[in-house]
Amino acid sequence: MIRVIRDLYNYRELIMALAIKNITVRYKQAYLGLLWAVLKPVLLMLIFTLVKSFVGIDSGNIPYPVLTFAALMPWIFFQESASEGISSVVGNTNLVRKIYFPREVFPLTAMVTKLVELGISFFILALLMIYYHMVPGWSVLWVPVIILYTMLVALTISLFGSALNVYYRDVATALPVVLSLLMYASPVIYPLSLVKEKFLEQQIAGDWSDTLYTLYTMNPLAGIIDAFQGALFRNTAPDFAAILPGFIVIMILLPLSYVYFKRAEAYFADVI
Amino acid sequence: MAIIEVKDLTKEYRLGQLVNLKDSLKKIFLNSKNQSDSKNKQFKALDSLNFKIEQGEVVGIIGTNGAGKSTLLKILSGITTPTQGNVYVDAKVAPLIEVGAGLVPDLTGRENIYLNGTILGMKRSEIKAKFDDIVEFAELEEFVDTPIKRYSSGMQVRLGFSIATSIDADLLIVDEVLAVGDLAFQRKCFDRMENMIKRQGKTVLLVSHNIRQIERMCDRVLLLDHGNILMDDKASKVCNVFYENNDKKIRLQAKSSQSNIRSTGEVELKDFYFQDVLTGNKTETVQYNSDVDVVLKLKLNKPLKKPIIVFGVHSTDFVYITTTTSGEELRSLELDTGEYEFTFRIKQLPLLPRTYSARISIDVEEPVKNVFFGENMFQFSIVAGQDFQRTSPENEGFFKLETQWQQPEKAGL
Repeated sequence: MIRVIRDLYNYRELIMALAIKNITVRYKQAYLGLLWAVLKPVLLMLIFTLVKSFVGIDSGNIPYPVLTFAALMPWIFFQESASEGISSVVGNTNLVRKIYFPREVFPLTAMVTKLVELGISFFILALLMIYYHMVPGWSVLWVPVIILYTMLVALTISLFGSALNVYYRDVATALPVVLSLLMYASPVIYPLSLVKEKFLEQQIAGDWSDTLYTLYTMNPLAGIIDAFQGALFRNTAPDFAAILPGFIVIMILLPLSYVYFKRAEAYFADVI
Repeated sequence: MAIIEVKDLTKEYRLGQLVNLKDSLKKIFLNSKNQSDSKNKQFKALDSLNFKIEQGEVVGIIGTNGAGKSTLLKILSGITTPTQGNVYVDAKVAPLIEVGAGLVPDLTGRENIYLNGTILGMKRSEIKAKFDDIVEFAELEEFVDTPIKRYSSGMQVRLGFSIATSIDADLLIVDEVLAVGDLAFQRKCFDRMENMIKRQGKTVLLVSHNIRQIERMCDRVLLLDHGNILMDDKASKVCNVFYENNDKKIRLQAKSSQSNIRSTGEVELKDFYFQDVLTGNKTETVQYNSDVDVVLKLKLNKPLKKPIIVFGVHSTDFVYITTTTSGEELRSLELDTGEYEFTFRIKQLPLLPRTYSARISIDVEEPVKNVFFGENMFQFSIVAGQDFQRTSPENEGFFKLETQWQQPEKAGL
């Protein structure tokens, strides 16, 4: 574990250089440049806000646009880190076949690239919060921790996925579909408090309610999004009960995913 | 201390495609060496290789296509792993497997130098220090802030080579990269490589099809054939064996007509061969430094005015060595249609023992045009007696120089 981290530290310059490449290549000939990165969450926020005005989602005392934007930030970061991570090894075929360095650099680079875009979203979030006269409290210090955890979740998927994608290109095609479905099973459009209320307080599914809630929170994004919103707007520490099921899942899957990646890595150049 | 140690190195590739998800998951999670039940056939790219390379050695690797050269380099540079056996590489490796791998078209030359340098394992500070050198060597001073997609392909290759060769590594692994750019730049690359090798005492592994280059740069050469080491010895020895094998192969191929012929149809080549001066028989071998007759039978479909017949000799890898023409002797010839036989004698053929090929070309002066051209028309071997040392230094090259030495004189008064 320590060795893994030390190796990665040694390759930090490479990861940075590749991430900078990704960003410059993507936005170099685009007039709007990096603004494109925030277009997706902003547009989705507007659409959700529009939908909300028809169906009515209770967002408590927090203005819905800010709430959903704050949900979209970790969600999009996760979704894009994972899907770009998965195609990252195959996308760098020429490097894989010609030059050696640890291959986890590729999914990591994809993630670091997305981290930059996430950073830009924070400016938009700040503007929104200013507009709604919201001031974050000390809990905002949880935000880096939450993002770090989101990175682990994204890595769990992208390590396994990118290795498998070398053998079966189906993976990179299927994943975006699966992830876009997963968004509805995550508290992006609606807040987690709503789910919690229905299951834990109103017990809407009878005896199954508690189990279903645990099942729901096994999706790590449920805890993450809620914690992110809590740290920013409610000045609360993360709801550990909502995080724990997902955290356990990740702690089991991440090492497996990493081991699979390292085993498969030896054959990348032959198979790709 | 050996810098590279290879023990029982075997690399197998599976022929055909990977079959299904279950198999490949199994391959990775279970012990991957247990593949005997696999349905696909295995192909051994490398078959239990054993060798050691010491610090400071310059080793060439030669072999025909598919001999396993590139696979070996890939394993040594860590890109792929051996199926069986062990490989120890105890050095920082600069893999010059392919020049320009990882250059990004959208980035400028400057950005690419930093990116590619980092990919090849250089530190940022190191690249900064070498930046000017890299640009200067690639001769791209004016273009360094232009995206390299606007570069010509030669410029891109120059940049790639320049970056790759500025790595400070103890072990250079080089695969066919010297053949880049125009002649002047090739010369420069060659000098740079030679400088790295000879003066900086680096260990170098060099793969090339250019055997002359290998012979010149390397002390030791491994000859690979179908995944086995056929020979591991001094460069000149191994290269000679390689040439001989290659000559044989080329002669075999040539038998099944591998000649390059261009003809306008005005002249047909009926026969073309060497004839023994004494017996008058067709021959494919000529004694070193003796006479031989060349016979050329032509059928003219149209009358030829003032033909010039050009005869040349080239090596089996198409290096033109010498040329002679009928020139003045047949200058005012005017030939009607029909068959003709030309003969001329080569006196004391000075080519050194080896296999060569003959070339023939027929031009006419009025109007000026080439009516027939043929390379690799037939092969002949120059042979010499038992005491002839093919590998001794005075017998390197294609022919001998007659020289006369004078006793040294002390300079000055």
